[in-house]
Amino acid sequence: MNNLMETKKKQRRNLLIIIMMLSAVLVLGIVCLFVGSSNMTVADVVRAVLGQGSMAQNRIVWNIRMPRVLAAIVAGAGLAIAGLIMQTMLNNPMASPSTLGVSNAAVFGANLSIIAFAGGFLSTGSNVSNFDVGANPFATSAVAFIFSTVSILLILGLCTLRAFSPNVVVLSGMAVGALWNAATTFLQFFATDVGLSAAVVWSFGDLGRATYTTVGIMFAVVAASVLFFMLMAWKYNALLSGEATAKTMGIRVERLRFVSLLLASVITAVCVSFLGVIGFVGIICPHVMKKVMGQDHRISIPATALSGSLLLLIADTLSRSLGSGSALPVGAITSLLGAPFFIAIIFTGRGKGRC
Amino acid sequence: MLSCENVSFRYTRSGNDVLRGLSLELEQGQIGIVLGKNGSGKTTLFKNILGIHDPKGGKIRLDGKNLQKISRRERAQRIAYVPQDIRFGDLSVFDSVLLGRISHFGLQPSREDYIAVEKILMDMGLESFAQRSVEALSGGERQKIAIARAMAQEPQLMVFDEPTGNLDIANEQLIIQEAKKLAKEKNISILSSLHDLNQALYFGDKFFFLKDGVVKYAGGSEIVNEEVIRDVFDIDVRIVEIDGQKVILGGYNK
Repeated sequence: MNNLMETKKKQRRNLLIIIMMLSAVLVLGIVCLFVGSSNMTVADVVRAVLGQGSMAQNRIVWNIRMPRVLAAIVAGAGLAIAGLIMQTMLNNPMASPSTLGVSNAAVFGANLSIIAFAGGFLSTGSNVSNFDVGANPFATSAVAFIFSTVSILLILGLCTLRAFSPNVVVLSGMAVGALWNAATTFLQFFATDVGLSAAVVWSFGDLGRATYTTVGIMFAVVAASVLFFMLMAWKYNALLSGEATAKTMGIRVERLRFVSLLLASVITAVCVSFLGVIGFVGIICPHVMKKVMGQDHRISIPATALSGSLLLLIADTLSRSLGSGSALPVGAITSLLGAPFFIAIIFTGRGKGRC
Repeated sequence: MLSCENVSFRYTRSGNDVLRGLSLELEQGQIGIVLGKNGSGKTTLFKNILGIHDPKGGKIRLDGKNLQKISRRERAQRIAYVPQDIRFGDLSVFDSVLLGRISHFGLQPSREDYIAVEKILMDMGLESFAQRSVEALSGGERQKIAIARAMAQEPQLMVFDEPTGNLDIANEQLIIQEAKKLAKEKNISILSSLHDLNQALYFGDKFFFLKDGVVKYAGGSEIVNEEVIRDVFDIDVRIVEIDGQKVILGGYNK
């Protein structure tokens, strides 16, 4: 029974790591409430959290900073986990949440809504005065989401014809992504200056667009998907032995791949539609966590999700504090922060050269 | 008993048949060796038996049950695979063998699954490796872990694809002896491909010579003779008997 005890010990250690990461997310989330461009003191924030600050302060903390922090936690976890699942299911280290062309489709949808229908949600940064009274704040997000969904269904439908071979999925994703890109370029070519700039600003990822409703929707999608992925952890582990071997262990690989890719893409579609494109979280977090914690999905799934939350929280805090008054695009910060760290991880440490 | 009746298979609709009405029978507990040139259809036959591919024609049965009619999970509880290309990611030996139980436990392993794995590791003398990462092990050790994982499936039939392909001579011996012991002790059938004819003679009870997508010769060690080898492999060999054991010498082109 020694091994049974050893295994239990390892499980306890993993649980401890997850609890520590979770605590780090909570602590950082609280710290982020205190950071911003409105020069509020710590005491101001505490009073506002308790609802005893000035009207403006209460509003800044509860209506601007809080949804932002929650969005960073939820979207960070969602994008990171979507990347991990894409990489596992496609057996491809370069796969990311947008491998199926989901982000490109969302960007096209948003561009269409903004440029062609002059509608939508044009708030940039934490500036609530940008709400256009007549515009439905969900319009652009809704159109973006509809196009992402169409794109996902198109690719998954196409790939059913070829038994979901990973290479076919990746290549069709690239092709369909290129189609959406081309369509976006045409749209932008014919756009007015105002429309074009609004559309470009939309495509910068921005957590400032988050509201409690959008965070709630993202949370429901991400939580349900993470639960599903956790339940499938042993099946994903079986895939580490290769697709053919996994099949002989009783795994219905094609069905697992279909459902997993669908969920990962829906997470991406929801996050991108509400927040714009936030790159790199979905590539860097799974890789770093696999290097540090190993490939066992029982641990890499929760660890990757939490690392995504951490990265996006840090990136958003920096984007708000470096921008002196207006938040810098968070997508650019994640890449700026992540890329050098990523390179360091690839070339050093455990499992050198393995992706 | 494993029986293949008239099995045919092609990879693409317009391609040639790789298996062309192949038939074979293997009794429970027997070790069957599949021999043939590269490209004769050995791996394709295995993939059809394992359910990685479905035959385009014919039937494959195990104990009379048509394998195409049962779920993949049920098939995995009857047939296990020891592939040529052995990968486990960076899982520990214990977890890798536990993976073999997935067709039994589905989503989460129970205490019984842990105990079953513990017993297999003990039986195979692997308990001291249990917490090590498979990545850190040698080729022969990995092969043993792959056999242990296949054993965890509690199969009736184990399929080995070139089990000694990447091993040195000491590990070759070790793996063949281990597999033979398991087949006899646990009454598990084994179907294996092997390139080395002498190893095949030592390992197998029954021999299937594949040529042009069919089993051209089948039978006990008596059918392994110079004419059959010449017909199947296009080479001339000499067979001598040393201490009652057939030994195949040299291979010279016709």
